Amino acid sequence: MEQPSEPMIPRNTEPIPRPTVVVIALVILAFLPWVTSTPLATEILIWTIFGLGFNLLLGYTGVLSFGHAAYFGLGAYSAGLAFRYWHASIWTGIALGILAPMLLACFIGAIAIRKRGVYFAMISLAFGQMLYFLALSPLKDITRGEDGLTHIPVMEVFSISLNKPAPMYYFILIVTAVMLFLTWRILQSPFGKLLQAFRENEERAKACGFNTTLVKFFSLVLSAFYAGLAGALYTIFLGYVPLSTLFWLTSGTIVMMTILGGRGTLLGPLVGAGVFLFLQNTISVLTPRWELFVGAIFVVIILLFPAGIVGTIQEKFSAYRIARQKT
Amino acid sequence: MFADLPWNVIALQLFFGVALGCVYVLLASGLSIIYGLLDVVNFAHGTFAMLGAYAVFVAVSMSGSFFIGILSAVVIVGLIGAVTEIFLLKPLYGKDPLLPLLLTFGLSVAIPDGMKIIFGLIGKPVNYPSALSGATLLGPMIFPNYRLFIVLFTLVIMISLWLFLKKSDLGMIIRASTRDSLMVQVLGVNVSRIWTIGFAMGIGLAALAGAISVPMMSATPDMGVDMTMVAFVVTVVGGLGSLGGAIVGGLFIGLVVAVASFIAGEYANVAMYFCMAVILLVRPRGLFGELGRE
Repeated sequence: MEQPSEPMIPRNTEPIPRPTVVVIALVILAFLPWVTSTPLATEILIWTIFGLGFNLLLGYTGVLSFGHAAYFGLGAYSAGLAFRYWHASIWTGIALGILAPMLLACFIGAIAIRKRGVYFAMISLAFGQMLYFLALSPLKDITRGEDGLTHIPVMEVFSISLNKPAPMYYFILIVTAVMLFLTWRILQSPFGKLLQAFRENEERAKACGFNTTLVKFFSLVLSAFYAGLAGALYTIFLGYVPLSTLFWLTSGTIVMMTILGGRGTLLGPLVGAGVFLFLQNTISVLTPRWELFVGAIFVVIILLFPAGIVGTIQEKFSAYRIARQKT
Repeated sequence: MFADLPWNVIALQLFFGVALGCVYVLLASGLSIIYGLLDVVNFAHGTFAMLGAYAVFVAVSMSGSFFIGILSAVVIVGLIGAVTEIFLLKPLYGKDPLLPLLLTFGLSVAIPDGMKIIFGLIGKPVNYPSALSGATLLGPMIFPNYRLFIVLFTLVIMISLWLFLKKSDLGMIIRASTRDSLMVQVLGVNVSRIWTIGFAMGIGLAALAGAISVPMMSATPDMGVDMTMVAFVVTVVGGLGSLGGAIVGGLFIGLVVAVASFIAGEYANVAMYFCMAVILLVRPRGLFGELGRE
C-alpha cells in the first residue's frame, strides 16, 4: 500500500480514553516499587500529578507556560512553611500548597493569558524567575535561601506515619489515582471538550461565541491546582523544600516530560515522567553531565516524534485501524 | 536616600547602567530580528551568547588580540547559528509554532553541559584589552574606558544594522520577508536562504553581546540562561519583533538593574521582572509593540 502524502489522522486526536486504561495504569503503578526503587517510583508519581495539570494546559488547551516551576515551587514552599513554622497538619499544608499557586495563577493569568502562545511562554518564564530570585535572597530569612527549607517534621495520615518509603508511596499513589480519574472526568466534560476545541481552532471557537480568554484562564488556574498539589506532596516526600523547585530547569523538566510522553494524551505525563526520571537516573550514574544527553534526546524527540511516546503509539495504532477498515 | 551621595557617584552608576543596557540591546535586538523574521522564539539565545564568550576566550588565548577575538566570535557563532537553522529549525517550519521554541530549549539544556565537558566548570576570564583598560577623566567624572568602548561600539553596531536594514538591497528583502514572506517568495527571492541569513545575523548579535561582556565577567557555561531571561524581559518590555523596542527596552532594563543593585543589591534580579510586570499591566503590548503582534 502506498504511503499517504499527508497524515490521515489529524494532529493530537486522541481516541476517547477508557476508564479501564486508567485502572490498568494504576494497577501497574501499584507494583512499581518492585520494579524500581520506591523513592524513584514516588518521584514518578509526583511528577505525574504535576504533568497531568501541565498537560491540561499545554496538551489540551494549547497554552505553553514556561514558568510552571513557580506554581510547583510555591506549592512546595507554602506547604513547607506551614509545616515548619505553624506545625500544620498534612491536610492544612496541602490545602495551602494548592491555594497559593492558584492565586498566583489568577494574577499571572489576568496579566498575560490574552497573549499569543510564545509571548505567554516568555512572560510566565520571567515570573517564574522573579519567584526564584525572591526565595533566593530577599526572603531568605524565611525560605533559608540556597539551603532550602529544612526541619520539616514527618507527616501523618490518619495516624499512619509516613516515615517509611512504602506508606509514603501508597499515600501518594492514592492521590495520583484521584487526580488521574479527575483528569479523565474533566476531559469527558463539556469544559474539557472546550479546551480541545480551542487548541484546534481558537478563532472558530471564538466565532461560536465562547469566551476563549476565560476558558484559557480557568485552564491555567486548574493546572496551578495540580502543580501546587504536586509541590506540596514533594515537600512531604523529601522532608525539605529545595530551592531548585523554583528553578527554571524545573519548568523545563515538566515541559520535557510532557512532550516526551505525548502532549494531549491522558497517560502521556505518566509515561513521560517515568521515562524521563528513569533516563535521568541511569545516565547520572554514568556521568554527571546527564543534561547533555537528556537535552539532546529531547531535541531528537522534537524533530522525529513531536507527538511523544503515547501520541506516536496512538497515531500508529489508529493508522493501522484505518488501513484495516479500508481493506 | 541619595542626599548624602555625591552626584558624580550617582552619575557613574547611571553610566554603568547604560553600558549594561548596551549589552542587553545587542542581545535583545538579535532575538527580535529572529522573532520578526522567522516567528521563532529562540530559547537558546543566551546559550549562543555564552558560545560567543567562549569563542573570545579561545581566540584571545590563541591570537592575543581582543578585537580578533570579537570578530571570530561573531563569525564562528554566526556560522553555528546558520547550521542550527538549516538542520534543526528548517524541518519544523509550518508545523506547530511551539516546536521551534521547544527545540531551542533542548539546545539550551544540552549545550551548556557540553561546554562543561570541554572547558570545565570554572569560568574562563579574559583580560581587558590593554588599549581599553584604565579610565578617562571627563571634567569631574571618571569613566572606565572599557564601558565607554561598549557604549560607542553598540552605537556603531546599531547604526550599521539600521543602515543595513534600511539602505541595502538585502536589508530591504529581509524587512519585506518580515512583513510578508510569501509575497517575497513569489517575487523570486529564495526566502529560505533569507531566513538562514537572518537567523545567523541574530545569533551573531547574541555572540557579540556575550563576547563584549567577557572582560567584565568570566565566560561560564551557565551564563546563557540569565542572558536568555534578560533578552526575553527586554523584548517583552520593548515589544515583540520591534528593533526600536529592543534598544529602548535594553537601555531601560540596564538602568533598572544598575540602580537596583546600587540601592538594594538583593533585589537587583527581582527588579527587572517587577518592571516587566508593571509595564505589562500598563501597556500589554510593550513599549513599541505593534498591535496584533502580541
